[in-house]
Amino acid sequence: MASVSEMYDVTWEEMRDKLRKWREDNHRNSEQIVDVGEELINEHASKLGDDIWIIYEQVMIAALDCSRDDLAWTCLQELKKQFPGSQRVKRLAGMRLEALEKYEDASKQYDSILQDDPTNTAARKRKISILKAQGKSAEAIRELNEYLEQFVGDQEAWHELSELYINEHDYGKAAFCLEELMMTNPHNHLYCEQYAEVKYTQGGLENLELSRKYFAQALKLNNGNMRALFGLYMSASHIAASPKVNATVKKANVKYAAWATNQINRAYQVSHARYLL
Amino acid sequence: MSIKLTTQAYCKMLLHAAKYPHCAVNGLLVAEKQKEKKKDSHSTPILCVDCIPLFHGTLALAPMLEVALTLIDTWCKENKYVIAGYYQANERTKDFRPNQVAEKVGARIAENFSEAAMIMVDSTRFTMGCYEPILAIYDHHENKWKCRDCNADCFEDWCEAQKITSALLEGRSYESLIDFDNHLDDLRNDWTNPEINKSVLHLC
Repeated sequence: MASVSEMYDVTWEEMRDKLRKWREDNHRNSEQIVDVGEELINEHASKLGDDIWIIYEQVMIAALDCSRDDLAWTCLQELKKQFPGSQRVKRLAGMRLEALEKYEDASKQYDSILQDDPTNTAARKRKISILKAQGKSAEAIRELNEYLEQFVGDQEAWHELSELYINEHDYGKAAFCLEELMMTNPHNHLYCEQYAEVKYTQGGLENLELSRKYFAQALKLNNGNMRALFGLYMSASHIAASPKVNATVKKANVKYAAWATNQINRAYQVSHARYLL
Repeated sequence: MSIKLTTQAYCKMLLHAAKYPHCAVNGLLVAEKQKEKKKDSHSTPILCVDCIPLFHGTLALAPMLEVALTLIDTWCKENKYVIAGYYQANERTKDFRPNQVAEKVGARIAENFSEAAMIMVDSTRFTMGCYEPILAIYDHHENKWKCRDCNADCFEDWCEAQKITSALLEGRSYESLIDFDNHLDDLRNDWTNPEINKSVLHLC
Protein backbone atom coordinates (compact mmCIF):
# COMPACT_ATOMS: atom_id res chain seq x y z
CA MET A 1 0.00 0.00 0.00
CA ALA A 2 1.25 3.46 -0.90
CA SER A 3 2.51 5.64 1.91
CA VAL A 4 0.69 8.79 2.96
CA SER A 5 3.52 10.96 1.67
CA GLU A 6 3.31 9.24 -1.71
CA MET A 7 -0.48 9.33 -1.98
CA TYR A 8 -0.86 12.96 -1.03
CA ASP A 9 2.55 14.20 -2.14
CA VAL A 10 3.41 15.74 1.22
CA THR A 11 6.67 16.16 3.05
CA TRP A 12 7.30 14.92 6.56
CA GLU A 13 7.20 18.52 7.81
CA GLU A 14 3.73 18.97 6.36
CA MET A 15 2.62 15.74 8.00
CA ARG A 16 4.01 16.90 11.33
CA ASP A 17 2.25 20.26 10.96
CA LYS A 18 -1.03 18.56 10.08
CA LEU A 19 -0.77 16.47 13.24
CA ARG A 20 -0.19 19.62 15.26
CA LYS A 21 -3.24 21.30 13.74
CA TRP A 22 -5.41 18.27 14.54
CA ARG A 23 -4.01 18.31 18.09
CA GLU A 24 -4.81 21.99 18.56
CA ASP A 25 -8.32 21.62 17.12
CA ASN A 26 -8.89 18.49 19.18
CA HIS A 27 -10.04 16.65 16.08
CA ARG A 28 -11.11 13.06 16.52
CA ASN A 29 -10.15 11.97 13.00
CA SER A 30 -8.39 8.93 14.43
CA GLU A 31 -7.95 6.94 11.21
CA GLN A 32 -6.14 9.83 9.55
CA ILE A 33 -4.03 10.48 12.64
CA VAL A 34 -2.98 6.83 12.69
CA ASP A 35 -2.13 6.87 8.96
CA VAL A 36 -0.08 10.04 9.13
CA GLY A 37 1.35 9.51 12.62
CA GLU A 38 2.43 5.91 12.09
CA GLU A 39 4.36 6.81 8.97
CA LEU A 40 5.93 9.81 10.66
CA ILE A 41 7.05 7.69 13.62
CA ASN A 42 8.34 4.81 11.49
CA GLU A 43 10.13 6.83 8.82
CA HIS A 44 11.03 10.17 10.33
CA ALA A 45 11.37 9.73 14.11
CA SER A 46 14.90 11.09 14.21
CA LYS A 47 13.89 14.36 12.53
CA LEU A 48 11.04 15.15 14.91
CA GLY A 49 13.12 16.14 17.91
CA ASP A 50 11.17 16.62 21.11
CA ASP A 51 7.92 16.81 19.16
CA ILE A 52 8.01 13.05 18.97
CA TRP A 53 6.76 12.55 22.53
CA ILE A 54 3.55 14.51 22.07
CA ILE A 55 3.11 12.78 18.72
CA TYR A 56 3.45 9.38 20.42
CA GLU A 57 0.71 10.44 22.82
CA GLN A 58 -1.57 11.70 20.05
CA VAL A 59 -1.02 8.64 17.86
CA MET A 60 -1.52 6.30 20.80
CA ILE A 61 -4.94 7.71 21.61
CA ALA A 62 -5.93 7.59 17.93
CA ALA A 63 -4.67 4.01 17.72
CA LEU A 64 -6.91 3.06 20.65
CA ASP A 65 -9.83 4.56 18.74
CA CYS A 66 -9.00 2.35 15.76
CA SER A 67 -8.41 -0.85 17.75
CA ARG A 68 -4.74 -0.73 16.76
CA ASP A 69 -3.47 -2.08 20.06
CA ASP A 70 -0.15 -2.99 18.43
CA LEU A 71 0.54 0.62 17.58
CA ALA A 72 -0.85 1.90 20.90
CA TRP A 73 1.42 -0.51 22.80
CA THR A 74 4.51 0.63 20.86
CA CYS A 75 3.78 4.29 21.57
CA LEU A 76 3.12 3.56 25.23
CA GLN A 77 6.41 1.69 25.63
CA GLU A 78 8.37 4.58 24.12
CA LEU A 79 6.65 7.04 26.46
CA LYS A 80 7.20 4.80 29.49
CA LYS A 81 10.90 4.57 28.68
CA GLN A 82 11.27 8.32 28.27
CA PHE A 83 9.06 9.39 31.18
CA PRO A 84 9.25 6.69 33.87
CA GLY A 85 6.78 7.23 36.72
CA SER A 86 4.91 9.97 34.89
CA GLN A 87 1.23 10.47 35.84
CA ARG A 88 0.45 11.53 32.32
CA VAL A 89 1.81 8.27 30.91
CA LYS A 90 0.00 6.31 33.63
CA ARG A 91 -3.24 7.88 32.42
CA LEU A 92 -2.46 6.72 28.87
CA ALA A 93 -1.89 3.20 30.18
CA GLY A 94 -5.30 3.48 31.86
CA MET A 95 -6.90 4.57 28.60
CA ARG A 96 -5.46 1.52 26.88
CA LEU A 97 -7.07 -0.68 29.53
CA GLU A 98 -10.36 1.14 28.92
CA ALA A 99 -10.07 0.47 25.19
CA LEU A 100 -9.60 -3.22 26.00
CA GLU A 101 -12.73 -2.94 28.19
CA LYS A 102 -10.70 -3.88 31.28
CA TYR A 103 -12.57 -1.28 33.27
CA GLU A 104 -11.65 -2.53 36.74
CA ASP A 105 -7.95 -2.51 35.94
CA ALA A 106 -8.29 0.92 34.35
CA SER A 107 -10.08 2.23 37.43
CA LYS A 108 -7.32 0.88 39.68
CA GLN A 109 -4.77 2.63 37.50
CA TYR A 110 -6.57 5.95 37.90
CA ASP A 111 -7.03 5.37 41.63
CA SER A 112 -3.27 4.93 42.00
CA ILE A 113 -2.72 8.25 40.22
CA LEU A 114 -5.23 9.91 42.54
CA GLN A 115 -3.52 8.44 45.61
CA ASP A 116 -0.32 10.22 44.67
CA ASP A 117 -2.10 13.33 43.45
CA PRO A 118 -5.72 13.81 44.60
CA THR A 119 -6.10 16.90 42.43
CA ASN A 120 -5.34 15.06 39.20
CA THR A 121 -8.33 16.10 37.11
CA ALA A 122 -7.45 13.88 34.14
CA ALA A 123 -7.68 10.71 36.22
CA ARG A 124 -10.99 11.75 37.76
CA LYS A 125 -12.46 12.49 34.36
CA ARG A 126 -11.32 9.14 33.00
CA LYS A 127 -13.12 7.42 35.86
CA ILE A 128 -16.28 9.25 34.87
CA SER A 129 -15.72 8.18 31.25
CA ILE A 130 -15.64 4.57 32.42
CA LEU A 131 -19.05 5.02 34.01
CA LYS A 132 -20.31 6.50 30.77
CA ALA A 133 -18.87 3.62 28.74
CA GLN A 134 -20.61 1.15 31.03
CA GLY A 135 -23.93 2.90 30.52
CA LYS A 136 -24.09 4.04 34.15
CA SER A 137 -25.42 7.48 33.24
CA ALA A 138 -26.90 8.33 36.64
CA GLU A 139 -23.60 7.59 38.39
CA ALA A 140 -21.61 9.44 35.75
CA ILE A 141 -23.84 12.48 36.25
CA ARG A 142 -23.47 12.29 40.01
CA GLU A 143 -19.68 11.98 39.86
CA LEU A 144 -19.41 14.77 37.32
CA ASN A 145 -21.51 17.07 39.52
CA GLU A 146 -19.21 16.34 42.47
CA TYR A 147 -16.19 17.00 40.29
CA LEU A 148 -17.60 20.34 39.15
CA GLU A 149 -18.20 21.45 42.73
CA GLN A 150 -14.44 21.31 43.14
CA PHE A 151 -13.35 22.30 39.66
CA VAL A 152 -15.97 24.92 38.81
CA GLY A 153 -14.00 26.33 35.88
CA ASP A 154 -13.64 23.14 33.87
CA GLN A 155 -15.55 23.96 30.69
CA GLU A 156 -15.05 20.59 29.08
CA ALA A 157 -16.70 19.06 32.13
CA TRP A 158 -19.65 21.46 32.07
CA HIS A 159 -20.19 20.65 28.40
CA GLU A 160 -19.96 16.92 29.00
CA LEU A 161 -22.49 17.26 31.81
CA SER A 162 -24.89 19.20 29.57
CA GLU A 163 -24.70 16.37 27.02
CA LEU A 164 -25.31 13.72 29.66
CA TYR A 165 -28.39 15.62 30.85
CA ILE A 166 -29.67 16.05 27.29
CA ASN A 167 -29.37 12.30 26.71
CA GLU A 168 -31.42 11.74 29.86
CA HIS A 169 -33.96 14.27 28.59
CA ASP A 170 -33.34 16.44 31.68
CA TYR A 171 -33.38 19.65 29.67
CA GLY A 172 -33.70 21.97 32.66
CA LYS A 173 -30.39 20.79 34.11
CA ALA A 174 -28.76 20.78 30.67
CA ALA A 175 -29.80 24.43 30.32
CA PHE A 176 -28.18 25.22 33.66
CA CYS A 177 -24.84 23.78 32.48
CA LEU A 178 -25.03 25.77 29.25
CA GLU A 179 -25.83 28.92 31.25
CA GLU A 180 -22.58 28.39 33.15
CA LEU A 181 -20.73 28.09 29.85
CA MET A 182 -22.40 31.17 28.37
CA MET A 183 -21.50 33.21 31.46
CA THR A 184 -17.83 32.40 31.16
CA ASN A 185 -17.82 32.50 27.34
CA PRO A 186 -20.22 35.29 26.38
CA HIS A 187 -18.85 35.48 22.82
CA ASN A 188 -19.19 31.80 22.04
CA HIS A 189 -22.03 31.50 19.52
CA LEU A 190 -22.13 27.71 19.79
CA TYR A 191 -23.08 27.71 23.48
CA CYS A 192 -25.80 30.30 22.78
CA GLU A 193 -27.18 28.23 19.96
CA GLN A 194 -27.10 24.98 21.95
CA TYR A 195 -28.83 26.70 24.87
CA ALA A 196 -31.53 27.90 22.47
CA GLU A 197 -31.99 24.33 21.18
CA VAL A 198 -32.40 23.01 24.72
CA LYS A 199 -34.94 25.69 25.60
CA TYR A 200 -36.87 24.96 22.37
CA THR A 201 -36.92 21.27 23.19
CA GLN A 202 -38.19 21.99 26.69
CA GLY A 203 -41.22 23.58 25.05
CA GLY A 204 -43.88 25.95 26.26
CA LEU A 205 -44.35 29.56 25.20
CA GLU A 206 -41.85 31.07 27.66
CA ASN A 207 -39.09 28.66 26.64
CA LEU A 208 -39.84 29.22 22.96
CA GLU A 209 -39.47 32.97 23.40
CA LEU A 210 -36.22 32.47 25.28
CA SER A 211 -35.00 30.12 22.58
CA ARG A 212 -35.80 32.69 19.89
CA LYS A 213 -33.82 35.32 21.81
CA TYR A 214 -30.80 33.06 22.15
CA PHE A 215 -30.92 31.94 18.52
CA ALA A 216 -30.91 35.65 17.66
CA GLN A 217 -27.99 36.24 20.01
CA ALA A 218 -26.03 33.38 18.45
CA LEU A 219 -26.66 34.91 15.02
CA LYS A 220 -25.44 38.28 16.25
CA LEU A 221 -22.23 36.61 17.43
CA ASN A 222 -21.85 34.68 14.18
CA ASN A 223 -24.15 35.47 11.28
CA GLY A 224 -23.00 32.33 9.47
CA ASN A 225 -24.49 29.99 12.07
CA MET A 226 -27.18 28.21 10.03
CA ARG A 227 -28.55 26.32 13.03
CA ALA A 228 -29.20 29.65 14.74
CA LEU A 229 -30.90 30.99 11.61
CA PHE A 230 -33.10 27.94 11.19
CA GLY A 231 -33.80 27.94 14.93
CA LEU A 232 -34.88 31.58 14.79
CA TYR A 233 -37.29 30.73 11.98
CA MET A 234 -38.72 27.69 13.81
CA SER A 235 -39.15 29.38 17.18
CA ALA A 236 -40.66 32.58 15.74
CA SER A 237 -43.05 30.52 13.58
CA HIS A 238 -44.21 28.45 16.53
CA ILE A 239 -44.73 31.55 18.69
CA ALA A 240 -46.70 33.28 15.91
CA ALA A 241 -48.89 30.20 15.54
CA SER A 242 -49.57 29.89 19.28
CA PRO A 243 -53.14 30.70 20.39
CA LYS A 244 -51.75 32.16 23.63
CA VAL A 245 -50.06 35.22 22.13
CA ASN A 246 -51.65 38.61 21.54
CA ALA A 247 -51.80 40.27 18.14
CA THR A 248 -48.71 42.43 18.70
CA VAL A 249 -46.48 39.52 19.66
CA LYS A 250 -47.90 37.48 16.78
CA LYS A 251 -47.17 40.25 14.30
CA ALA A 252 -43.61 40.67 15.58
CA ASN A 253 -42.85 36.97 15.33
CA VAL A 254 -44.35 36.71 11.86
CA LYS A 255 -41.90 39.46 10.89
CA TYR A 256 -38.94 37.62 12.51
CA ALA A 257 -39.90 34.39 10.75
CA ALA A 258 -40.20 36.18 7.41
CA TRP A 259 -36.82 37.80 7.89
CA ALA A 260 -35.27 34.46 8.75
CA THR A 261 -36.85 32.82 5.67
CA ASN A 262 -35.33 35.53 3.54
CA GLN A 263 -31.89 35.05 5.05
CA ILE A 264 -32.14 31.27 4.68
CA ASN A 265 -33.07 31.54 1.00
CA ARG A 266 -30.20 33.98 0.47
CA ALA A 267 -27.79 31.58 2.17
CA TYR A 268 -28.90 28.72 -0.08
CA GLN A 269 -28.62 30.86 -3.19
CA VAL A 270 -25.11 31.83 -2.20
CA SER A 271 -24.19 28.17 -1.74
CA HIS A 272 -25.79 27.24 -5.08
CA ALA A 273 -28.03 24.66 -3.48
CA ARG A 274 -31.44 24.09 -5.00
CA TYR A 275 -33.69 23.68 -1.97
CA LEU A 276 -35.84 26.63 -0.93
CA LEU A 277 -38.26 26.91 1.94
CA MET B 1 -46.57 -4.81 6.67
CA SER B 2 -42.88 -5.39 6.08
CA ILE B 3 -40.14 -3.27 4.58
CA LYS B 4 -37.29 -4.26 2.32
CA LEU B 5 -34.08 -2.33 1.81
CA THR B 6 -32.19 -1.61 -1.37
CA THR B 7 -28.43 -1.79 -1.43
CA GLN B 8 -28.17 2.00 -1.57
CA ALA B 9 -30.30 2.43 1.55
CA TYR B 10 -28.40 -0.19 3.57
CA CYS B 11 -25.03 1.05 2.38
CA LYS B 12 -25.51 4.64 3.37
CA MET B 13 -26.87 3.64 6.79
CA LEU B 14 -23.75 1.64 7.55
CA LEU B 15 -21.42 4.24 6.10
CA HIS B 16 -23.00 6.82 8.39
CA ALA B 17 -22.42 4.63 11.45
CA ALA B 18 -18.85 3.92 10.28
CA LYS B 19 -18.05 7.60 9.81
CA TYR B 20 -18.89 8.38 13.43
CA PRO B 21 -18.00 5.27 15.42
CA HIS B 22 -17.82 7.24 18.66
CA CYS B 23 -21.24 8.90 18.28
CA ALA B 24 -24.88 8.01 18.12
CA VAL B 25 -26.18 8.51 14.57
CA ASN B 26 -29.66 8.58 13.09
CA GLY B 27 -31.41 9.09 9.80
CA LEU B 28 -34.47 8.50 7.67
CA LEU B 29 -35.45 5.91 5.09
CA VAL B 30 -37.55 6.82 2.08
CA ALA B 31 -39.71 4.70 -0.18
CA GLU B 32 -41.35 5.41 -3.52
CA LYS B 33 -44.85 6.75 -3.14
CA GLN B 34 -47.40 4.08 -4.12
CA LYS B 35 -49.72 5.28 -6.89
CA GLU B 36 -52.93 3.83 -5.55
CA LYS B 37 -53.83 1.91 -2.43
CA LYS B 38 -54.04 -1.71 -3.50
CA LYS B 39 -56.52 -3.91 -1.68
CA ASP B 40 -53.79 -6.35 -0.75
CA SER B 41 -51.19 -3.66 -0.09
CA HIS B 42 -50.24 -5.24 3.19
CA SER B 43 -48.80 -8.27 1.43
CA THR B 44 -46.42 -6.37 -0.83
CA PRO B 45 -43.42 -5.21 1.14
CA ILE B 46 -42.48 -1.54 1.08
CA LEU B 47 -39.15 -1.00 -0.66
CA CYS B 48 -36.94 1.59 1.03
CA VAL B 49 -34.93 2.91 -1.87
CA ASP B 50 -32.80 5.49 -0.15
CA CYS B 51 -31.49 6.66 3.18
CA ILE B 52 -30.96 10.22 4.41
CA PRO B 53 -28.37 10.41 7.21
CA LEU B 54 -29.44 13.05 9.71
CA PHE B 55 -27.35 13.67 12.81
CA HIS B 56 -24.41 12.44 14.81
CA GLY B 57 -23.71 13.07 18.48
CA THR B 58 -26.60 14.52 20.45
CA LEU B 59 -29.84 13.22 18.98
CA ALA B 60 -32.26 14.36 21.65
CA LEU B 61 -32.78 18.00 20.65
CA ALA B 62 -35.86 19.06 18.69
CA PRO B 63 -35.29 22.11 16.51
CA MET B 64 -32.83 20.78 13.90
CA LEU B 65 -34.75 17.50 13.71
CA GLU B 66 -37.89 19.47 12.84
CA VAL B 67 -35.98 21.46 10.22
CA ALA B 68 -34.63 18.25 8.70
CA LEU B 69 -38.04 16.57 8.63
CA THR B 70 -39.56 19.65 6.95
CA LEU B 71 -36.86 20.00 4.28
CA ILE B 72 -36.70 16.27 3.60
CA ASP B 73 -40.49 16.07 3.39
CA THR B 74 -40.43 18.78 0.71
CA TRP B 75 -37.68 16.93 -1.15
CA CYS B 76 -39.69 13.72 -0.92
CA LYS B 77 -42.75 15.38 -2.46
CA GLU B 78 -40.62 16.70 -5.33
CA ASN B 79 -39.25 13.20 -5.95
CA LYS B 80 -42.45 11.19 -5.34
CA TYR B 81 -40.96 9.62 -2.21
CA VAL B 82 -42.45 9.18 1.20
CA ILE B 83 -40.62 8.99 4.54
CA ALA B 84 -41.02 5.34 5.43
CA GLY B 85 -38.62 4.67 8.27
CA TYR B 86 -36.08 5.82 10.82
CA TYR B 87 -32.74 4.32 11.79
CA GLN B 88 -30.50 4.87 14.77
CA ALA B 89 -27.20 3.54 16.04
CA ASN B 90 -26.55 4.27 19.71
CA GLU B 91 -23.36 5.74 21.13
CA ARG B 92 -22.48 2.64 23.11
CA THR B 93 -21.73 -0.37 20.94
CA LYS B 94 -23.48 -2.82 23.22
CA ASP B 95 -26.65 -0.74 23.43
CA PHE B 96 -28.94 -1.48 20.50
CA ARG B 97 -32.33 -1.06 22.08
CA PRO B 98 -34.57 1.75 20.80
CA ASN B 99 -34.66 4.67 23.21
CA GLN B 100 -37.08 7.54 23.69
CA VAL B 101 -35.72 9.49 20.71
CA ALA B 102 -36.14 6.52 18.38
CA GLU B 103 -39.66 5.83 19.59
CA LYS B 104 -40.71 9.47 19.32
CA VAL B 105 -39.39 9.99 15.79
CA GLY B 106 -40.67 6.58 14.75
CA ALA B 107 -44.13 7.41 16.05
CA ARG B 108 -44.09 10.76 14.26
CA ILE B 109 -43.24 9.03 10.96
CA ALA B 110 -45.90 6.40 11.58
CA GLU B 111 -48.51 9.18 11.82
CA ASN B 112 -47.94 9.93 8.15
CA PHE B 113 -47.07 6.44 6.99
CA SER B 114 -48.79 3.58 8.75
CA GLU B 115 -46.27 0.92 7.73
CA ALA B 116 -43.31 2.91 9.05
CA ALA B 117 -40.38 0.91 10.37
CA MET B 118 -37.84 1.75 13.05
CA ILE B 119 -34.41 0.27 12.55
CA MET B 120 -31.71 -0.10 15.18
CA VAL B 121 -28.16 -0.86 14.07
CA ASP B 122 -26.36 -3.54 16.06
CA SER B 123 -22.80 -2.25 16.18
CA THR B 124 -21.46 -5.31 17.99
CA ARG B 125 -21.80 -7.27 14.74
CA PHE B 126 -20.51 -4.51 12.51
CA THR B 127 -17.57 -5.82 10.47
CA MET B 128 -15.77 -4.70 7.32
CA GLY B 129 -16.90 -7.90 5.63
CA CYS B 130 -20.60 -7.26 6.36
CA TYR B 131 -21.22 -11.00 6.43
CA GLU B 132 -24.59 -10.71 8.08
CA PRO B 133 -27.27 -8.03 8.24
CA ILE B 134 -26.77 -6.09 11.45
CA LEU B 135 -30.18 -4.49 11.78
CA ALA B 136 -33.10 -5.00 14.11
CA ILE B 137 -36.33 -3.92 12.43
CA TYR B 138 -39.27 -2.76 14.51
CA ASP B 139 -42.84 -2.50 13.23
CA HIS B 140 -45.48 -0.29 14.81
CA HIS B 141 -48.36 -2.38 16.19
CA GLU B 142 -51.02 -0.87 18.44
CA ASN B 143 -48.77 1.92 19.71
CA LYS B 144 -45.93 -0.47 20.50
CA TRP B 145 -42.80 -1.30 18.57
CA LYS B 146 -42.33 -5.00 17.91
CA CYS B 147 -39.01 -6.41 16.81
CA ARG B 148 -38.85 -8.52 13.69
CA ASP B 149 -35.99 -10.78 12.74
CA CYS B 150 -33.74 -9.30 10.07
CA ASN B 151 -32.30 -11.69 7.54
CA ALA B 152 -31.56 -11.75 3.82
CA ASP B 153 -35.30 -11.54 3.06
CA CYS B 154 -35.33 -7.95 4.33
CA PHE B 155 -33.19 -6.89 1.38
CA GLU B 156 -33.95 -6.44 -2.29
CA ASP B 157 -30.69 -8.30 -2.98
CA TRP B 158 -28.69 -9.24 0.11
CA CYS B 159 -25.67 -10.57 -1.81
CA GLU B 160 -25.35 -7.31 -3.69
CA ALA B 161 -25.87 -5.28 -0.52
CA GLN B 162 -23.20 -7.29 1.32
CA LYS B 163 -20.65 -7.02 -1.47
CA ILE B 164 -21.10 -3.34 -2.17
CA THR B 165 -21.32 -2.18 1.44
CA SER B 166 -18.15 -4.11 2.25
CA ALA B 167 -16.35 -2.64 -0.77
CA LEU B 168 -17.31 0.92 0.17
CA LEU B 169 -16.26 0.40 3.79
CA GLU B 170 -12.86 -0.93 2.68
CA GLY B 171 -12.50 2.04 0.37
CA ARG B 172 -13.34 4.42 3.27
CA SER B 173 -16.22 5.98 1.34
CA TYR B 174 -17.70 6.95 4.68
CA GLU B 175 -15.20 9.80 4.87
CA SER B 176 -17.19 11.58 2.17
CA LEU B 177 -20.66 10.70 3.44
CA ILE B 178 -22.72 13.82 4.18
CA ASP B 179 -25.35 13.92 6.90
CA PHE B 180 -27.75 16.74 7.74
CA ASP B 181 -25.39 17.98 10.47
CA ASN B 182 -22.65 18.36 7.85
CA HIS B 183 -25.14 20.24 5.67
CA LEU B 184 -25.92 22.66 8.49
CA ASP B 185 -22.19 23.24 8.96
CA ASP B 186 -21.85 24.09 5.26
CA LEU B 187 -24.88 24.35 2.98
CA ARG B 188 -22.84 23.15 0.02
CA ASN B 189 -22.70 19.70 1.59
CA ASP B 190 -25.38 17.65 -0.15
CA TRP B 191 -27.28 15.27 2.13
CA THR B 192 -28.58 13.31 -0.87
CA ASN B 193 -25.00 12.03 -1.31
CA PRO B 194 -24.98 11.89 -5.14
CA GLU B 195 -21.34 10.79 -5.28
CA ILE B 196 -21.92 7.81 -3.03
CA ASN B 197 -25.07 6.92 -4.97
CA LYS B 198 -22.92 6.91 -8.10
CA SER B 199 -20.35 4.64 -6.45
CA VAL B 200 -23.08 2.20 -5.44
CA LEU B 201 -24.51 2.17 -8.97
CA HIS B 202 -21.05 1.76 -10.40
CA LEU B 203 -20.43 -1.34 -8.31
CA CYS B 204 -23.79 -2.93 -9.07
